[in-house]
This record gives sequence, structure tokens and C-alpha cells, in this order.
Amino acid sequence: MKLLSRLLISLLLAAAASVHAATIEMTVNGLVCAFCAQGIEKQLRKFPATADVVVSLEHKLVAVALKDGQDIADAELRRALTNAGYAVKSIQRTDTPIADLRKRVKQAKP
Amino acid sequence: MFRWSIGLAGALVLVGRAVAKPIAFADGTTVMVEYGAGTMTEEQVFYAPRYDVSVGGGHLELDSDETTKVRRISYARLNYLVRRWNLDDAQANVFAWGGLGSATGDTFSGTLLAENAGAQADYETRRVYASLKTDWQGSSAFSHRIDTLQLGLAPYKHDYDGLASWFLVQARQYTGGIHRGVESALLLRLFKGGAWVEAGVTNGGNLQAMAMFNF
Ligand SMILES: [Cu+2]
Repeated sequence: MKLLSRLLISLLLAAAASVHAATIEMTVNGLVCAFCAQGIEKQLRKFPATADVVVSLEHKLVAVALKDGQDIADAELRRALTNAGYAVKSIQRTDTPIADLRKRVKQAKP
Repeated sequence: MFRWSIGLAGALVLVGRAVAKPIAFADGTTVMVEYGAGTMTEEQVFYAPRYDVSVGGGHLELDSDETTKVRRISYARLNYLVRRWNLDDAQANVFAWGGLGSATGDTFSGTLLAENAGAQADYETRRVYASLKTDWQGSSAFSHRIDTLQLGLAPYKHDYDGLASWFLVQARQYTGGIHRGVESALLLRLFKGGAWVEAGVTNGGNLQAMAMFNF
């Protein structure tokens, strides 16, 4: 019984986390140096909904962690990246916490 | 050797583009200082309201270790990104700039109106870098051009949070100025965060250095 309620609680917590841990993962072309990443991070941090930003040149990844219950429309993301001088190839919304993403791109270095 | 290198850079430019860029990123400020012992010193400050435009100014001082000739030019300049290619694993750019300023020197008297125009093409992956830059300054008393070619290799791929290292060969040709001929240099470039430093030695044994900050 105790086990069951624990399981239930952890399931609820996981569900809650998946609702709140909204992350936008974008594949971006033209990322070749740290200055590209710096410029993109600066643009994305201007959105009030942005909680955190991770950029990986190796993975051509630009990820934005959203603040609870907030969002940034795809069109706005594309515009921000275009205005930063880069080309967005794809936009994906995931439940991956930004901390996990940061860890993953650090470990996967060649 | 220089002609051959220009051909190579031209070929690289055609397939894709990369030197220190006059525009770093949108809403970014760039401060750049370049020093070539016995030849030139240049300081520049630019602000980019957009990713493809920056405005600012600079000061160029050409002086010779062989003669006593000196030429000083202060200028205001507009830089424009004519075209950028964002490729899968590379980026290429063509920049152009123009400006006006004032010149003083010891081969003419008084202060003259100086005009400036230049262009740069670069191609860059995370391992390979090539750039070709031409920069012209003119007035009623002089007209000179500095052409710079850089080819670079990175021993490893850096990422956003890491230190980037590059080995570069540079060839620089002075035309119509205080110096003549081609000067070559071997350089080590390092950058991390918004800071970039580059230093090396020319074939004449002189120090060549550059520092740039983006924020
Ligand atoms: Cu870059």
C-alpha cells in the first residue's frame, strides 16, 4: 500500500514535471564558432518566456527552456534566429529538462 | 606564393567563406585592436543594431621602421554584410564597408579628408578558416591598400563553452602606402567567451598581434 502510494506520487510528479519542463529544441545551420552561439543566446534571452538557453555547435542545437506555463511561437523563434543571422532547420518541443540537455551535449563531445 | 594563395582563397570563397568580422552579432559591440610591429596599428569600435549592419569608427596609423614616414587616419565607417551562407557545417560571408575620415601625415601638410572602402570574404567550418580582406584608404595626397589573406586550421573542434585554438598563416600586401611588398606571418589565435586574441611573428621577425572583444 505504501509502495503503491509512493508509485502514484512519483507518477504524478513525473506528469507534473513533463507539463512544466517545456523545452524547445531547434536545429540551426551556420553555427561554427562561439560568437554565433553568443549572438543567438543574446537574442533568445530577450523573450520574457525564456528561462534558460543552451547552444551546442557540435549538435547544431539551440535549446530554450521555457518559464512555467509560458511559450514562444514557432514564428517568433524563426524570426529571432533569422534576425540573429542564422537558419532554423527544425523546431521541436520536448519534455527534456534543460539541465539534462546541457549534460548530454557536454558528454557527447568528440 | 601570394598569387597562388589568393587563388586558393578565391576557390574557398566560391564554395562556401572566414577573419575577424566587422559585425559580430545583432545588438553586439565589437572592440578591436591590431598591431604590426614597425608597420601599422589600428583600433576599431563597432556597434551592430542588426546582424547585417554595424557602425562605428577607427584609427589607423601606418608607420615605418625603415623610414620616418608616418600616416594617421581617423574614420567613421559603416559595415554591411552583403551575403551570408548558413551551410550544414560551415558559414560563409561577404562584407563590404565604406567610410570617411581625416588624415594627417608627414608626406603632406595639414589635415585631409580621407575616404575608406573595403571588402572581406570568409569561409569557416569548425576546423578550417579562410579569409581575404582588402582595405583601401585614399585622400588627395595618397592612396593605399592593405590586402590580407588568412588561412587557418583548428587542431580540434571547440564548442560554445570551450577554448578555441587556431593556427593561421597570414599574407599581407601593402600597395601605395608607406610599406611595399608582401609580409607573411604565422599566428596563433585563441578565443573563449567574447574575447579573442591572436599573436604571431612575421617573416621579418616582427610581432603581429590582434585582440577583439564582443559583448
Ligand atoms: Cu560564429
